[in-house]
This record gives sequence, structure tokens and C-alpha cells, in this order.
Amino acid sequence: MTLPLTPLTLGEARRRTVLLAFRQALLEQRSFWRSAEYALFTFALPLALLLLIGSTTAAGDLPGTHVEGQMIFVPSIIAFGVIVAAYVNLGAKLATLRHDGVLKRIRTTPLPAAAYLSGVLGSTAATTLAITACIMTLGALAFGAVPRTSGLPEIAGGLLLGVACFGALGLALASVAGSAESASPIANASYLPLAIMSGIFDPTFPVPHWLSAAVGLFPVRALAQILQQGYTPVEHAPVTDLFVLLAWTAGAGAFAAWRFRWH
Amino acid sequence: MTSAIEVSGLTMSYGGREVLRGVDFDVRAGEVFCLLGPNGAGKTTTVEILEGFRRRTGGTVSVLGLDPQAQPTRLRERIGMVLQECGFPRQARVAELIDIWRSYYRQPRDLADLLQAVELTQDRKTQVRKLSGGQRRRLDLALALAGDPELIFLDEPTTGFDPESRRRCWAAIENLRALGKTIVLTTHYLDEAERLADRVAILAEGRIQIAGTVRHVARQAGISTTIKFTAPERVRNGTLAPPASLAVAVRGDVAVCTPASTAVSADTALRDLLNWAAANDLGDLEDLSVESPTLEDAYLQLVCPPAGERPRVPTVTAPPPDAAPALDAAPALDAAPPLDTAPPLDTAPPLDTAPPLDTAPPLDTAPPLDTAPPGDRAAEPAVTGGTR
Repeated sequence: MTLPLTPLTLGEARRRTVLLAFRQALLEQRSFWRSAEYALFTFALPLALLLLIGSTTAAGDLPGTHVEGQMIFVPSIIAFGVIVAAYVNLGAKLATLRHDGVLKRIRTTPLPAAAYLSGVLGSTAATTLAITACIMTLGALAFGAVPRTSGLPEIAGGLLLGVACFGALGLALASVAGSAESASPIANASYLPLAIMSGIFDPTFPVPHWLSAAVGLFPVRALAQILQQGYTPVEHAPVTDLFVLLAWTAGAGAFAAWRFRWH
Repeated sequence: MTSAIEVSGLTMSYGGREVLRGVDFDVRAGEVFCLLGPNGAGKTTTVEILEGFRRRTGGTVSVLGLDPQAQPTRLRERIGMVLQECGFPRQARVAELIDIWRSYYRQPRDLADLLQAVELTQDRKTQVRKLSGGQRRRLDLALALAGDPELIFLDEPTTGFDPESRRRCWAAIENLRALGKTIVLTTHYLDEAERLADRVAILAEGRIQIAGTVRHVARQAGISTTIKFTAPERVRNGTLAPPASLAVAVRGDVAVCTPASTAVSADTALRDLLNWAAANDLGDLEDLSVESPTLEDAYLQLVCPPAGERPRVPTVTAPPPDAAPALDAAPALDAAPPLDTAPPLDTAPPLDTAPPLDTAPPLDTAPPLDTAPPGDRAAEPAVTGGTR
């Protein structure tokens, strides 16, 4: 016979939430790698773009500078990998889980929402880290693009903030998407044009001044620029990028907290 | 007996539409309680309010002493739910999934025990996406039981099952009751409710129309017991009048008798019939049978009475719908009813033809449940019923 449950103290409840989030992240990771196709193509997209574009348009110095194109392009693709894993895939995955009733099933248990979502985000962070490691390795081997030693904090900070920001946007995306089918089109339509305008695939992509200023308000170029700092010092204001990312993280997080639905 | 659930004056409106108009009922600890009603009657809304998924508009609700909308997390520590059409994380393995579900609870049930209870021990390492439909329903149950709940909500747990799988799901539910668990069941299968429920409640038009034991509900519906026998020649050709207390119709070679008025009890009618047969030298009446009204008969009478006839509930002994009492308020009606005193002739209520549960194979030795073709709803009694 079960004993009556005593309410947990705040500290106990927090420790339990962290432990449960960790277990959830482990299960999510194991499940991710078991779905070989899904895992393969999550990695294949940024790596294929890295090799295809990197060996053609991004080769040589950027026009009018002594900055090698690869040193801008490789971190841009890292940003792209973060966006795909944390925003597109996470958003579509949560929309699908909701459609399939998995999220409702989770809500039938006493698992705190924070523990579940942290676990899913933690797993997304691990996937993002693995993709980043592959892009950095391939970038170094294929194009000799190696980050500055003093730029590692920018890369680590950029990744952390990038996962937080685009993970929050992924949650917001899942909140907006009315169905599992609509999540991917919404994701692609929202980030791809921005990625092109932000020069992710071609650092020399010409955009009018006003459009460049507008694109600067979005988190895609902000993340790319912070990561580019890790490879080569470039002329821009990283503090502005930092604020852009933080603002989008807070905004998307608040929106998700308001609108996220479990069923 | 203590109450596991107490619902009083529960109302619920969506926009301006009133779905629940003052629902009252109790569920006693340790019983199987079945909520019945037509589609759109508010069953799911009621259950979702009890589970803490929905905020009610008015009334009071207590589930295991907690208010579901004020303390949903504390409540979910102690309840389990089998919901309809809830998916699984597809890449997780069976034991892995049950195990993480166990970690969500502070006093989980043993993993090996859960696997065994739902016959998934052999499949513990199988990925969920590779399970058959029947295996998934069993996994459903395992997840609902992971926290060793005191109270279990089962929403149409056997929809799509073949007869054998249903029978074994019933055995599992009876096992849970034997463990002292309280079970709230919603179902469209009235034979299932009749078989499993200690008490049933029929929800229609936003209110509990009637509640009580199956026998009580059947009696309240005002459907009479039917007595049948092979009609002797003199009855068939109308030369011998039946006893005054019985109305007799001859269908083919079968005489179908019902008490001539509500004042005539079934045992009086039967006694009169046997006396009449003896007095008229009819000898033993061939193929004599006595059929009590089933829950299905009662349900159909109450929920969808024949055209031109009003529902029978608000007459005679039943309270008017808007004053439907808590279920506990009608204990006297559960006392031995007249029908019980009828001699057990060759009465064959449909359910009795099923093997008793205690002779059913135990879950852990029975063959797999997953032979059920999915979506076999053709056997739904509401479709074929009402012809007995």
C-alpha cells in the first residue's frame, strides 16, 4: 500500500526537476540517434551546404578586404546549423508530438512542464553541439578555417545564446503552428529569406542599406556575426548582436509561455 | 464507504453554450464507476474536469480530496489515465518508456511488475513504433499504472478490440479493482458497463439522468421482465386465454409474455403463469426463459425512447433530472429487487454465456492481445441493440 505523499520543499522540487530534465534529455538523445534518417539529414543539410558553397563562392578574400571568405562563411554555417536544429526541427517536432497526443500524455503525469521542456531543449543543445563540432572540423580540414584561440568564448557564448534564442523561437513556432504539417513550411518561410538576406550562404550577397538595417534586427545575422567574431575580428557591434539575441529569446520565451498548448 | 470523487452542481459553458447544467454524482473508493451517455452529452468534458485538464464554470469537485483545477500536479501523483488516441514517443523502447514514466512519480510501481501485468515483458526492448495496435493499448495501460495510482480513468479502453482482447482487458480492470483501485470508466459498450461497473450514471442533456447499480438503472427505466416459452397449440390458435396478469404476444411458435401492468412484479407474473399452465394441463412449459431488462434496454429507453414516448426516468420513483441526487442517496434501491427472487430457470442473459472471469486465462499466460483488427466498431451495441 502506498504511503501518503508529503509535499516537496522548494529545494527538493527544484532538484527533482533538474534530475527529471536530465533523464528526459537522455531519452530524447537516444531516440534522436535511433531515428537514423532523421539524424543523418539533420547533419547532412548544413554539412552539404558547407562543402558545396564553401568550395565555390566563398573561396578567396572578400572583395576589398584581407578577410578570407571561409572565415566568415564557416561560422555562418554554424549559425545555420543552430537554426535548423533548434528552430526548425524543434518547432516541427513539438508540433508533431502535440498532434500525436504525446504532449497530452505527458500532461497526464505529474512531470513538471519545465522539466519536460528543459529536457527537450537540453537534447536539442546536445544535437546542436554535435553539428557544430562536425562543421568546425570539416571547415578546418577542407578550408583551413580554424577559430581564433581568443575567439572561443564568442563561439561558446554564441552557441549557448543561439540555442536559447532559437530554441525559444522553436517553442514559439510550435505554439503558432496550427497543425503538425504547417510547422515546417512556417519555419522555412520565416528563416530562409532572412538567412539569405543575412549573407549566411554568401557573405557578399548585395542588399540595399535599408534592408540590411532591417535584417540586423533579426536574430539570424546577429548569431552569425557573434560566431564570426570567434573566427576573425570583423567590423560590427557585437554588443548590438547580443542585445538582439537576448531580446528575441525573451520575446519568444514569453510568447511560448503564453501560447504553448499541450493538446 | 468513503468517496473518491464528489461532484456537486457542476456546470460548464463554452461561450454561451451550456454543456453541463448541474451534474451531481459520487464515486466510492474501490468501485468501478461507469459514466454513460450519448455523444455530445458532456462525458468527456466531465472527465476532463475531474482530471484537471479543464476549468469548470461552476459547482464543486473533489477528487481524492483535492480540487483538480487548484492542485492538478498533486492530483496527478495519485491518478492514472488511459486517454483515447494519445501517441507515444515512437523511438523509445518499451521498458525505457515505462521506466521514464515511473520516474515522473514518487512512488512508482515496479517495472518488472508493470511489464508482466500488461504482457509486454517479451517486448521490453522493442521500439514503440514497431508495436502492434493491441500492444500499444497495453502500453497505454502500463503508463497509466506507472505511478501506482489510487484512481484510474479509462476512456473507452476497449474500442477497436476483438472479443478476446476485450475480455482480457476486462480481466485486467477486475484485477485493478481487486487491488482496491477506484476506476472511472467511460464507454459506448453497454455490455462492458454491465459487466464491469459497480454503479453507472447516465449523462444526457447536461445532467445525470439516472445513477445507481446496473439493476437499479434497468428497473428505473421501467422496462419489464420478459418471459418466453414455446406456445402450446391452444395458445397459438387463441382458444386458451392467458392469465390476467400477463400480456402475451405469439411470435412464430414462441409466446412472449410481459407483466400486464407495472403493478405486477416479475415473480408474481411467473407464479401466475406456472399456476395457469398447471390448471390448464399444459405440463412443463417448453423452453421457458425469464429475461431481465439489460442495461442496454434501459439506456436506449432512457436516452432515445421510441418516437412519441417520453423518457421514462422522471416518472414513479426516479427523481426529476434537475434534482438528480448524489449516487449515495439511493441505497435502498440497491436492496434485493423482486427480479432476484425469480427462480433461475434457463434464463440466459447474454453476458452469462461468456466464461466467468476467474476462469479466464491470467494475463501473463494468455496469448497476445494484439490480434484485434483495429477500428472494429461494427459490434457497437447501440447500433444492434434494442431488439432483444
